[in-house]
Amino acid sequence: MNFNFKHEWIETNIGLMAVLTMLAISVGGLVEIAPLFFIDKTIEKVDGVRPYTPLEQRGRDIYQREGCYLCHSQMIRPFRDEKLRYGHYSLAAESQYDHPFQWGSKRTGPDLARVGGKYSNEWHVQHLIAPRSMVPESVMPNFPWLLTTPLDISDITDRMMALRKVGVPYSLTDAEYKANVARFGETVAKQLHIPNAQQSLIEQANFGNYDGDRSGISEMDALVAYLQVLGTMVDFNKYKDDAFVNDR
Amino acid sequence: MAVTTYSGAEQYNFEVVKKFGVMSIVWAMVGMFVGVYIASELAWPFLNFDSPYISFGRFRPVHTTTVIFGFGGSALFATSYYVVQRTCQTRLISDGMASFTFWGWMAVIALADVSYMLGYTQSREYAEMEWPIDILIEIVWVTYLILFVGTIMRRKQPHIYVANWFYVSFILATALLHTFNNLAVPINLFSMKSYSLFSGVQDAMTQWWYGHNAVGFFLTAAFLGMMYYFVPKQAGRPIYSYRLSIVHFWALSFMYMWVGAHHLHWTALPDWTSSLAAAFSILLLMPSWGGMINGIMTLSGAWDKLRTDPIMRFMIVALSFYGMSTFEGPMMSLKEVNALSHYTDWTVGHVHSGALGWVAMISFGSLYHMMPKLWDTKMYSRKLIEWHFWLATIGIVLYIVAMWISGITQGLMWRAFDQFGNLQYSFVESVAAMHPFYAMRAIGGMFFLTGMLTMAFNMFMTIRQGKRESAALEAKLASKLAHA
Amino acid sequence: MWFSKPENTKPLGLVIFFVTFIGIVIYVYGSKKRSDQLESYRNIPFIDDEEDTKDKQ
Repeated sequence: MNFNFKHEWIETNIGLMAVLTMLAISVGGLVEIAPLFFIDKTIEKVDGVRPYTPLEQRGRDIYQREGCYLCHSQMIRPFRDEKLRYGHYSLAAESQYDHPFQWGSKRTGPDLARVGGKYSNEWHVQHLIAPRSMVPESVMPNFPWLLTTPLDISDITDRMMALRKVGVPYSLTDAEYKANVARFGETVAKQLHIPNAQQSLIEQANFGNYDGDRSGISEMDALVAYLQVLGTMVDFNKYKDDAFVNDR
Repeated sequence: MAVTTYSGAEQYNFEVVKKFGVMSIVWAMVGMFVGVYIASELAWPFLNFDSPYISFGRFRPVHTTTVIFGFGGSALFATSYYVVQRTCQTRLISDGMASFTFWGWMAVIALADVSYMLGYTQSREYAEMEWPIDILIEIVWVTYLILFVGTIMRRKQPHIYVANWFYVSFILATALLHTFNNLAVPINLFSMKSYSLFSGVQDAMTQWWYGHNAVGFFLTAAFLGMMYYFVPKQAGRPIYSYRLSIVHFWALSFMYMWVGAHHLHWTALPDWTSSLAAAFSILLLMPSWGGMINGIMTLSGAWDKLRTDPIMRFMIVALSFYGMSTFEGPMMSLKEVNALSHYTDWTVGHVHSGALGWVAMISFGSLYHMMPKLWDTKMYSRKLIEWHFWLATIGIVLYIVAMWISGITQGLMWRAFDQFGNLQYSFVESVAAMHPFYAMRAIGGMFFLTGMLTMAFNMFMTIRQGKRESAALEAKLASKLAHA
Repeated sequence: MWFSKPENTKPLGLVIFFVTFIGIVIYVYGSKKRSDQLESYRNIPFIDDEEDTKDKQ
């Protein structure tokens, strides 16, 4: 066979050029992305991380809707200053149920990966309505409509079904529910059960009373519930300081 | 019709080029205005006016989408259709498809902007459009691919000019990136809301693989295609080295796809991935600078044009900014530098030195070259092009300098310790320190926007002048015919 | 398997891509005749200008 390569073939044949270009541009993505789905070590084994409850998930939807991720990261890096300012560096496992991820790329405001429990509900509500009344130098927009807009819970089942499809272990059948009881405990498993979704959302909102107003469930209830759970799932006191170093 | 004046009108489909050209200027004004507005919101937060629709978080994607896809995208459609027809000496294979890409793309931008303000977002940077819009993009894009490749297949030249290679790789890469980054499950078929298929680490990696390659192929490869045609045309001399352009093409296409993970240094992404990305980022400096040198050297022997021709000056300054930001980028991808620069305004400054300095300036140069040709006339005012050039340049410099200072200040304040080993500054002290630079950045943006407005006025007058001239010519011909 | 181990495929990948790259460079710059051929394509953007003027004449 007379194999005489000519770049001219490519230069003069748009089909061949397109194929080779496609080849050239595919390699990088394949090599870097594909292994992340197969390597066990990508996500550490750690206790405590669970899917969001219906109310927290609705809060997360609002966090996403208002574009909070554009100014607040949720990814603490393993540096001394970040440990002092924000806490233990973020683990991959902590965002394993985050569809989509909210790591962010910019800190116009502080990181929120472990903001849960640091401030009271009242502080959050006031700070979201009028940030400069709490922090005079802040440049955050006011979000007064969160308190006045009732939370739409009519499609919560649809939302959880969609998340179930992409791999979040919300339970639909009894068998799935039992598996969740074994994995996350009964209290949590109940909240992750899709047939109970509306009811458990209402219960959590009424019990938590996040926005300080018992007359109804506002978007503020959901958002504060979400903020208060951020970074609280893993108990780092149970692990040695360097427990996760080798996973990096 | 006056056959003698419109030598190209029947041979080429310039109608779609004109439409895209005009709309790129319209979207540029809209997008840059929103940019100035959100920059001002950060400096003077009362500008959010307690309105959900224009609060920073919802308005920022309006800015990025309108400038990248509205302005940049329309400029690319316009120039790619112009270049492919003229270098292949053939008409676009289908006027209907061309027209569809125009209306489809305009619908994408308009729908995206409105949906963001209403609160629909995938929260994937530079791909915030929700799933119905993503599907529309996919359809428009496949049509674009078929139209472009089909036109190349009908060419009269055996050789495909290098500008078209860059355009093809941009179209292919964008299709690939768009498809995989937007995989999501809608909550139901009548809702805009969807959840992404991937989560956490994998989702972050997919997004930044997309995010950086949107820069690499949408904002770089495609605009290099523009450069490879319009710089030689404006300079009136062929590209410095055709062989270099071939090496440039393959090296750039291959290497760019590896570098996205440098956006995720020090995160929960496995270390090997971001280190590999950093290595390729450094390597990428070579093809980037190869391309820059190729463009700038095209002018060798005719450097005086820089003094006399403001359009040429736009192009050469664009290439210089390209060179600068492709040096800054690899530097910021080094893990040690990134530890300081990431999460700060330095990144924002870097993006804008590329976006304003390279992408916008090369587009301005190309549009100033192309638009008068399309209407068979000359630019209305050369003086206004000069004004535009200086307003834009001053705007960019103000912007970048403000962001460098604020970015590095932020980075240093966050990691400063006092003598007892405690953090020296609270977070909000760093926010307060940013105020003067945010104001300076907004002013830089206003300069750039003002330049853009002079361009729009100049273009409007040019088009009017072109229409008048052709009407006058036709009248003259008609009267000649009547006398004969 | 041999190719499923990263410590084998990494250098292999490196060699393949490096050789491809060198191949392109040698191809492009290797022969005088080919160089001239390639450089002649520089003028493609200017071809239709001549046709324009021909049309106009």
